Amino acid sequence: MAKKSFRQALNEALHSEMARDPSVIMMGEDLTGGAGAKGVKDAWGGPFGVTKGLLDAFGPERIRDTPISEAAFIGAAAGAALTGMRPIAEIMFVDFAGVCLDQIMNQAAKFRYMFGGRAKTPLVIRATYGAGSRSGSQHTQALYPIFTHIPGLKVVIPSNPYDAKGLLLQAIRDDDPVIFLEHKMLYDTVGEVPDASYTIPFGEARVVRDGKDVLIVAIGRMVGVAEEAARQLAADGISACVIDPRTTSPLDEDTLLEEAERIGRVVIVDEANPRCSVATDISALFADKCFDALKAPIKLVTAPHTPVPYAPNLEDAYVPTPDAVVKAAKSIARR
Amino acid sequence: MSLIEAVTVPKWGMTMTEGTITQWMVGEGDAILRGQEILEIETTKVTNVVESTASGTLRRIVLKEGTTAPVGALAGVITDDAATQDEIEAFIASYADRLGSGEDGDASAATPRAVAVEGGAVNLLEAGEGSDDVVLFLHGFGGDLTTWLFNQPEIAQTMRTIAVDLPGHGNSTPVQAADVLDAITSAVLASIQDAAPARFHLVAHSFGGAVAASIAAKEPSRVASVTLIAPIGLGKEINRDFLIDFIAAERRRPLLGVLERLFADPSKITNDMVEGTLRFKRLEGVPEALTNIAGAIANETGQVQAIGETLAALACPVMLIWGEGDQIVPLPNRDNLPANVEMRVIPGVGHMPQMEASSAVNDAIKENTRRG
Repeated sequence: MAKKSFRQALNEALHSEMARDPSVIMMGEDLTGGAGAKGVKDAWGGPFGVTKGLLDAFGPERIRDTPISEAAFIGAAAGAALTGMRPIAEIMFVDFAGVCLDQIMNQAAKFRYMFGGRAKTPLVIRATYGAGSRSGSQHTQALYPIFTHIPGLKVVIPSNPYDAKGLLLQAIRDDDPVIFLEHKMLYDTVGEVPDASYTIPFGEARVVRDGKDVLIVAIGRMVGVAEEAARQLAADGISACVIDPRTTSPLDEDTLLEEAERIGRVVIVDEANPRCSVATDISALFADKCFDALKAPIKLVTAPHTPVPYAPNLEDAYVPTPDAVVKAAKSIARR
Repeated sequence: MSLIEAVTVPKWGMTMTEGTITQWMVGEGDAILRGQEILEIETTKVTNVVESTASGTLRRIVLKEGTTAPVGALAGVITDDAATQDEIEAFIASYADRLGSGEDGDASAATPRAVAVEGGAVNLLEAGEGSDDVVLFLHGFGGDLTTWLFNQPEIAQTMRTIAVDLPGHGNSTPVQAADVLDAITSAVLASIQDAAPARFHLVAHSFGGAVAASIAAKEPSRVASVTLIAPIGLGKEINRDFLIDFIAAERRRPLLGVLERLFADPSKITNDMVEGTLRFKRLEGVPEALTNIAGAIANETGQVQAIGETLAALACPVMLIWGEGDQIVPLPNRDNLPANVEMRVIPGVGHMPQMEASSAVNDAIKENTRRG
């Protein structure tokens, strides 16, 4: 099977779905990527190269470059979704959601509920997230807890190229607003991705690796960190099961609970800040629903409760590492 | 000391790991100035230009256009006039050491290849060589060529082998036809036209057994022996719910429950098997193709196919292998089997003897092919 990067997998999904469904349109800043490239359209394929070739294939009516005004184009996209289009809006950095949160939280997320189920909002908001790219505190946050908190939004965080394509196709075909978060440091990761289209249902966790001594739950880029930790633990005779929820809303509680009950020892790895996070949410799920099956305290490996530092050494220290996961796992593995 | 400067694949951005040489803008022997654009490299994100870090002559192009190499790999060598060929060779050699060994050696590992046939492609995995005997492996409904994971390598030690992804399975294109069994048979025969000689041995599992019988009916003179593992078509009884539930299962947990019915010991099912089956089932067109095939296997009254007469007419050895605990295609009534077939029943095994009791199955395959 063909090996493709995370970026190529997303690009392929966008191309195939726009070709299949004429109601799919895109809007966002620099989607047709001219900035810094001597005015040449699509020279970069968007700020991260994900939208390359779409302008040529589908034209400026469907691939819309917008002004730097998230409030305007996210609102426009939500409205277009109500009228029967399937817009994909791109927020360059999820941090910029701050200026269009009303459009997301009070408008798109509420339409179906407040209109008594008589309106659909098939809107996808794609955004990059995450630390590691030396981009500073305002371009590196992992803000999925904010969206996960809001009923009416679906929140998708792919960890690998195969999932990126299948989850994006599902997001576009879904009739509800979907927040689709792409970690900047994953764009060049490579994996097997089929040429054909396929969808991965939401609320379906992936068992990344089977194991029996400790359960590691990890999200987005942290799945790779958990896998590396699991390899190191295996060398020390500790067998780790790794689970990637893939979507934080809906959350695959059944798979998480089943594995937590079977294994009884849990580490949760999350790049987001620790207060009111997905890590604490999943931890609460275990404490509430399978407390009696737990053999040790639930361990959380997260970023500290600070902004993402700009100093490279501090930024590296901020992001959870395989070593930290190994340490947490060992602290409970033999209790 | 002469000047020798490396041109390397740069790291553009934190996430870049490799690049592809798309164009050399200068040739070997050309004079170059520091800062001159000399090389265009494409990453998964973008194409960009490398500027020379030194003035001199481009003495050697190491990475030709079209090559993909990791960040830091030596793409070319720039030197002043004093540098000798020996010095350049030594410099290149030192780079090869720095990046490990350079060339990846394992070209012998078998990888599947797609063979174009009318309406799409059929995926084949060939292994073994140096023998006139060719064994063709045909998997069952919902499976793929990895069904033969434990069998093909063993059989390939002494014979040539071809494992097939049946159309609509694995990496083979689904077929659209009213008679799906006939269409699959034709596609398989077309796909092995170049790889298989005049005669071949058939080893097939479950639904693949009907494909094997159909091949044998079409080309009886080419079939050297037939070994069928829990084939359909020798009785009326079948677990039709398995087919329906297999197609319907879109998520991991329900699918696991369905796959467990295949094995006498469900703990043999790995997470990779469930994940791999889900990945196949999710592909566009696959559920429709599977529904079509399921209709050719069974309807409300039971099994649709009947291969007994075809087997009875064969002059070559025919062997049946069955798991005693098969919950999908139960052991047929022996009184109704053709007289020329030999039946092997393996105790403690379900519908997947080739995986559950691979060495017994491998021995049986060897024995039957030796006779053919």
